[in-house]
This record gives sequence, C-alpha cells and structure tokens, in this order.
Amino acid sequence: MKRLLPIAIFLGLFILLARSLFVPQMDLPSPLIGKQIPSFSLNELGKSSTVTHQDLLGDIALINIWATWCVGCEIEHDFLVELSLDQDLDIPIIGINWKDRDDLATRWLIQKGNPYSKILSDPIGNTAIDFGVYGAPETFLIDDQGIIHYKHIGPMDRQNFEQDILPRIVALRK
Amino acid sequence: MKRIALMFLLLPFQVVPDDLNTNLTATQQELYQGIIQEVRCLVCQNQSIAESNAELAKDLREEIFQQVEQGRNEAQVKSYLQERYGDFVLYEPSFKQSTYFLWLSPILILILILGWLRKIGVF
Repeated sequence: MKRLLPIAIFLGLFILLARSLFVPQMDLPSPLIGKQIPSFSLNELGKSSTVTHQDLLGDIALINIWATWCVGCEIEHDFLVELSLDQDLDIPIIGINWKDRDDLATRWLIQKGNPYSKILSDPIGNTAIDFGVYGAPETFLIDDQGIIHYKHIGPMDRQNFEQDILPRIVALRK
Repeated sequence: MKRIALMFLLLPFQVVPDDLNTNLTATQQELYQGIIQEVRCLVCQNQSIAESNAELAKDLREEIFQQVEQGRNEAQVKSYLQERYGDFVLYEPSFKQSTYFLWLSPILILILILGWLRKIGVF
C-alpha cells in the first residue's frame, strides 16, 4: 500500500499535466466581460464623420473586428452577411476595421456584401488594443448599456453562433 | 556532426526589435526593455513581445514605449495590459485568489517532501 502512494501521486500529476496538453489554449478568457466597452473616437470607414463609444449605446449589438488581410475574416464573412439579413434576429453588427486600408476595406465590402450597420476604421490599432484584440476576427456581444457580455475569438459560423451567442442575445432581450 | 554543432551555434542569435528608440532616459530604456520581455505575445504564445515580429507585438511595444516615455511605471503599464488581455499576457502571473495554488504549490510540495524525508528517517 505504501509503495502505491508515489505511483498514485505520479499518476495524478500525469493526468493533470496531460490534460492541459489537449485542452485548446486559443480562447483566452477576456477580462472585459461584464465591463463597459472601452471609450474611443474613430472615423467611419471612408467618411470624415467620427463615431464614439457612446454612439453604440441603445441597442444590443455585435461588434466585429475584421480586416481584409485576415484569413479568418474571409471565412466568416458570408455568415456575417447571412446574419445581417436575418430579420427575425434583427441585430446590428458594428464593424471595426483593424489595421487596414480604407480603400481595400471598401472594395472588399462591395465585392462580398456589407453586413455592417456601421463601420469604424482603426488603422493604427489603438482601439483594438483597448478591446484586448489579439486575433481577428473577434466578435463582442454588447447590451444596450454598452456592457460586454461575450467575446468570440475566431470565425463565427452557424454552429458556434447558435451555441454560444444566440442564447445570450435571447437572454438579454427578455 | 559539424553541421549539428553549427546548428546549435546559430540558436542563440536573437531577433533584434526594430524599434530600439533612443529618446528615453537610460532608466526608462531599461524599464521598457524589462517590460517587453515579460509580456507574452498572444499571437505566438511562446514568445515575449520583445522577441516577436507579429504586428500585434509591434503595436504593444509601441504602446508600452509611449507609456514609459510619459513616465508611467512598471506596475501601471502591466495593469494596463492586464485589464485588456488578462493574466495570461504577463509571464509572471500576479498573486491573487485564482493563482494562490500556482504560487504556493512549490512550498506545499516542499513541506510534503520534508515530511516524507522525516518519516523515512533522514532526520
């Protein structure tokens, strides 16, 4: 029995460490959940008007950080367009175009369709840092007070949207 | 064999960041260098932002540089990053409830080993 103890400890540690090898580390918890969206003042894409964080209040909305250089955004785009056309869901998608060129972004939207109700341009990436963005696309769910309820990292699709985001939207609307 | 030896010789070469600016004081320069080596690049998670050439790492270096230039100290810069990216962004996690076990487990293990040594009669 005594001899089994070291083996038990070893096995315990082995399982503990082996498990963390197989848990995907990509999705880091965001410290911004439950907090107000960071304040910003950005130009609207291709326009001279500015939009601040206060202009985003009043609606439950999705904030999607994207760029034309981002491969995941290309994968996600069709689904975003599909979402924006969903009349039952009826949720505004606000785009933040991250470290991109306005002309490239505008062309992309003409070619692929524009799912966004508003697009802000963050060429330097300061606002993205305030949002804790590290890999586009990232999508934040905010309520009408501008509180962040969820952050999705990577391309959204029908499956992860219905699993992780839709139930939260439904709960917020109750 | 020689080739293998050569490979190992090449390993220590470090990537020199492209933004070694000089309008910081010597102390600020040191502070800046110190911080960027302790901040994890989240895009390439096993590199610090000092080592990484990822765009985000460049942006964060620039941001930290500006903050140091404005006279903010290490704790202020680190909490700035933590508020946005979470504990994971720092290589050395802060001491708080969720990290008690992490920090205290070496002491716990040491006590267990000492107890065990005593039990088998080493002292």
